[in-house]
Amino acid sequence: MRLHSTVIRTLGALVGLFLAFATLAQARAEPRVSELQLKVEESQVQVSFQLDDAFTEDFLRRVESGVPTGFVFDFQLVRDRKSWFDSSVDSGRLQVDAMYNAVTREYLINYRHDGDLVESRVVRELDELQQAMTEFSGYTVFAIEGKAARQRLRVRVRAVLGTRMFLFFIPRTQSTDWVESPRFQIQDPDSGP
Amino acid sequence: MDLRQQILRHRKDNRVIGGGMLLLLIVCSIFYYLLLRGRGLPAEMASDKLLLFVLWYINIILILAILFVLVRSVFRLILERHHRILGSKFKTKLVLTSIALSLIPVLILFPFATRLLLESFDQWFALPVEEVVSQAADTADALSRQIESTNLRDAHRVLRELAEFDIEDLDQRPGLQHRLQELREELQLHYLAIYDGTEPIHGTADPLSGFQRAPSFRGLSPFLLEAAEKGEAIHLEDSLDIDGRLILAAVATQRPAPTVDEGEEEAELPPEPEHTVVVAGTVLPPDIAEKSESLVLAYQSYLRLAVERVDLRAAYLLNLLMVTLLVVLAFSSIGLRLARRITEPIQALADGTRRISSGDLDHRVEVAVDDELGVLVNAFNQMTQELKRNKELVDTQNRQLTHTNKRIAAVLQNVAAGVLSISAEDKILTCNGAALEILGQRAEDVIGHQTDEAWADPERAKLASLLAEDFTIGGQLNHQLNITIGAVWKTLEVKVTTLPGSDGQAMGGRVVVLEDLTELIYAQKMATWNEVARRIAHEIKNPLTPIRLTAERLLRKYRQNDPSLGPMLEEGVEIIVREVSSLKNMVDEFSRFARMPRPQPQEVDMEQMSREILALYKDLKPGVEVRGCIDDQARTVRFDREQLKSVLINLLDNAIEATDAPGEVSLTTRPYNGSVRLNVSDTGRGVSTEDKEKLFLPYYSTKGRGTGLGLAIVHRIVSDHNAAIHIEDNHPRGSVFSLDIPL
Repeated sequence: MRLHSTVIRTLGALVGLFLAFATLAQARAEPRVSELQLKVEESQVQVSFQLDDAFTEDFLRRVESGVPTGFVFDFQLVRDRKSWFDSSVDSGRLQVDAMYNAVTREYLINYRHDGDLVESRVVRELDELQQAMTEFSGYTVFAIEGKAARQRLRVRVRAVLGTRMFLFFIPRTQSTDWVESPRFQIQDPDSGP
Repeated sequence: MDLRQQILRHRKDNRVIGGGMLLLLIVCSIFYYLLLRGRGLPAEMASDKLLLFVLWYINIILILAILFVLVRSVFRLILERHHRILGSKFKTKLVLTSIALSLIPVLILFPFATRLLLESFDQWFALPVEEVVSQAADTADALSRQIESTNLRDAHRVLRELAEFDIEDLDQRPGLQHRLQELREELQLHYLAIYDGTEPIHGTADPLSGFQRAPSFRGLSPFLLEAAEKGEAIHLEDSLDIDGRLILAAVATQRPAPTVDEGEEEAELPPEPEHTVVVAGTVLPPDIAEKSESLVLAYQSYLRLAVERVDLRAAYLLNLLMVTLLVVLAFSSIGLRLARRITEPIQALADGTRRISSGDLDHRVEVAVDDELGVLVNAFNQMTQELKRNKELVDTQNRQLTHTNKRIAAVLQNVAAGVLSISAEDKILTCNGAALEILGQRAEDVIGHQTDEAWADPERAKLASLLAEDFTIGGQLNHQLNITIGAVWKTLEVKVTTLPGSDGQAMGGRVVVLEDLTELIYAQKMATWNEVARRIAHEIKNPLTPIRLTAERLLRKYRQNDPSLGPMLEEGVEIIVREVSSLKNMVDEFSRFARMPRPQPQEVDMEQMSREILALYKDLKPGVEVRGCIDDQARTVRFDREQLKSVLINLLDNAIEATDAPGEVSLTTRPYNGSVRLNVSDTGRGVSTEDKEKLFLPYYSTKGRGTGLGLAIVHRIVSDHNAAIHIEDNHPRGSVFSLDIPL
C-alpha cells in the first residue's frame, strides 16, 4: 500500500516536472507567422496574417530605447509545383519599423513596401503597437497578371526578426519559417461567366 | 621602371603597407556597411556595427603584424643559429628578452584590465543605477501623466458644463465663448477650446502661460479624430507658439445626427455623426519641460546603452585589446630594433674580423651608430687601416729583407770564411759554401741536422763540443781549432757569436764563423822562421866576424913571423872564446824559448802577486814611480803562477827601461767583458806603429841589445793560456800593455 502511494507520488512528481518543462518550452516559443489567409480581388492578392511570440521583452526594450526596431516580412508568390526548380513568380518585402518618442510617449510606425514608405502611424499604447506591428489584415502584396494568372499559386510568408551578430560583427539573419497559403488560382477574366 | 620593379621597390615601405591596409579597411567598411543595410539594419545600428567591424579589423591587423614580426624574428634567429652566425646567440638572448619584457607585463595586466573594465562596465547597468535612472524618468513621466489626467478631468467637466449650449447655434456662440473663458480661468487651464469635429469653434488661452499669439494647431487633426473615435485622447505639443510643452487632453461627445428635412433629396449614405470635442491644455514651464525631457531622454539613452550593451562591451574590449596589441607591437618592435641596433654592429665587427683574418684588409665596417658601439666600430676601422699600413710596411721591409738576405747569402757564398747559423736547439740552419768546403761536407749532410749529428766523426766533433760550451748571451768566443779532415790537417779559427732570443734573455742561436788558418799559419811560420833564420844568421854572424878577423890576423902574423904573435894570440883567443860564449848564450836562450814548459793554471791572487813583484822595482830607478792598483772584482785570475810572474816582470822591465824620470809605471787590474784585464802602463817614450806590429815577434828588439825573445815569450805564454795581449798608446804619453785573461 505504502509502495503504491510512493509510486503514485513519484509519477506525480515526474508529470509535474514534465509539465514545468513544457511550460518553460512554451514560454520560450519561437516566433512564427500564423493565421495566414488569402483574399484575391481583381488580380490583387491580399494577405492577412499575424506574427506570434515576436513581441518579446527584449524587443520592447529595444523599441523603448528609441532605436528603430521592427520586422521584415518577406512574401513570395510561387507556383504550386514543388518539384519545379523555378517556382518563384514574384516577391515582395514589407518592412515595419517602430521608433519610440519618449518625450511624447508616442510610437511612430513606418511601413515600407519594397523600400517605399507606404504608411506611417502613431500609437501611444503598447497593445496598439503590438497589433500594428504583428497583425495584418487585407494587405495587398501582389498584383497578378499575364500567364501567372492561369496558374495555381501559393503565397509564402516569413518574418525576418532581425540580424544577430556572430563574433560581434558577422551578420546572421534570424527569421521564422516560411508559411504557405493554400493554393489558389485566379479566375481568367476572359473566361468569365 | 616597370610595375613589378616598383612593387618590389616599395614592398617594404611601411607607408605603402599602411596605405594598403587603410585602403582595404575603407573598401571592407563600405562593403560591410552596405551588407548591413541590405539586411535591413537601421543606419544607426549599422554605424555601431561598423565601428565594431573597424575595431575588429584593426585588432586582427595588429595581431597579424605582431605575429609576423615575432615569427619572422624567431625564424631569422633559428636560421642564424643554424648557420652559426657570430652574434646569433647574443641576438637570441636580446630578442627573447625584449619580447618577454613586452609580453609579460601585458599578459599580466591584460586579464586584470579586462576584468576591471568589465566590472566597471557592468556597474553602469547595475540595478541601483537602472533604478535611479528609471525612477527619475518615471517621476518626469508621472508629472506629465498627472497633468494629462487633470486636463482630461477638466475637459470632461467643461464638456458637461457646455452641454446646455448648442454649438451649431450661432446666436449662442458669444455666451459659449464667455462661458469657456470663465471655465478656463476657474479650472486654471492655460488653454481651453471647443471643436466641432476637427473644426475649431472657440478657444481661449491664458496670456500668461506663454502663448505669444492665438494658438493654431494645424497638426491637431489626428489628435481630434482620435478623440472623436475613442472618446478621449492625449497629445503633447512642443509648438513654436509657446515656450515649454503643451499637454493637451481632448474629450469628445457624439452629437445626434442632423435630421433630414422632408422634401430634401435623400442622401445615398446616412449622415456622419458629429462630435463636440473639448480640448483642455496646460503648458509645462520650459525649465520643467526641459528637465523632464532630459530625464526621459537620459533614461532612453540608458535603455539604448543597455540594448547595445553587448556591442559596447565588445567595443570596449576591442579597444582595450587594440591598445594592448599596439603596446605589444610597439614594445616588440622597439625591442627588436634595439636588439638589431646592438647586434648589427657586433655582427658587422665579427664579419669584419673574419674577413680581415682572411686577409681582406680593405674591408671596413659600415654601420651607422653614434654610441659606444660606434666608437668601437671606428676603432676597429682605424685598427684595420693601421693593420693595412703596417702590413704594407712589413711587406716592404720583407721585400727589402729578402733582397738583403739574398745579397748577404750571395756575399756569404762568396766569402772565404765559412759561416753557419745554428739554432738554440743546436740545429744547423744555414751553411755557406766556404764552410762546407772547410768542413768537407755537403749541404744536405749539414743543413737541418743537429750539430752532433752532422759532425759525428771524432775530428768534427771537436767543433760540436766547442759549440756545446756554455756561452754568455751576446758574448763571443774565438778559438783556434786543429782538426784533420780527410787526412788533411787544418787549423781553423772559430768565432762563435751567440744571439739573444726573442725575450732577450735566453739564447736565440749562434753564428759560427770558420776561418781556415792552415795556409796563413803555414805562411806565418815560414815567414817567422825566415825571420828567425835571418836573425839567427845575423846574430851568429856578429860574433863570427870578430872570430874570423881575429883568426885571419893571427894567421897573417904567423906567416909574417911577427914577434907580436904571442900577445896577439892570447888576445885573439880571448876574443874568440868570448864570442863563442856569446854564441852559446844565444843558443841556450833559443833553446829555452823552444822548450817552453806546459802551463799549470791555478788561482792567482793578483793583490799578492802585484805586491811581490812591485817590491822588486821599488826605488829601482830614481824619479820613476812604480805603483799597483788591483780591483776587488778582478783580484783573482786563473794562470800559471810562475809564467804570469815571468810575463809581468818582462813587461815591467821594459816599461821601467822605457820611462825616464820623472815618470810612472803602474800595474792595474779590472773586469772587462767576462775577463780580467791586466794593464801595465808607463809614461815613457812609447812605441811606434810600425814597431807595434812586430813587437811580439822573436828576436825583434828596439833596444839594440838582448835576444829580442822577451815579448815573444810573453806572447807565447799568453796564447798558451787562451788569453790575449795587445799594446796601445798611453795618454798623454807612453804605452799600455793590456792582457785579457778569461775567467
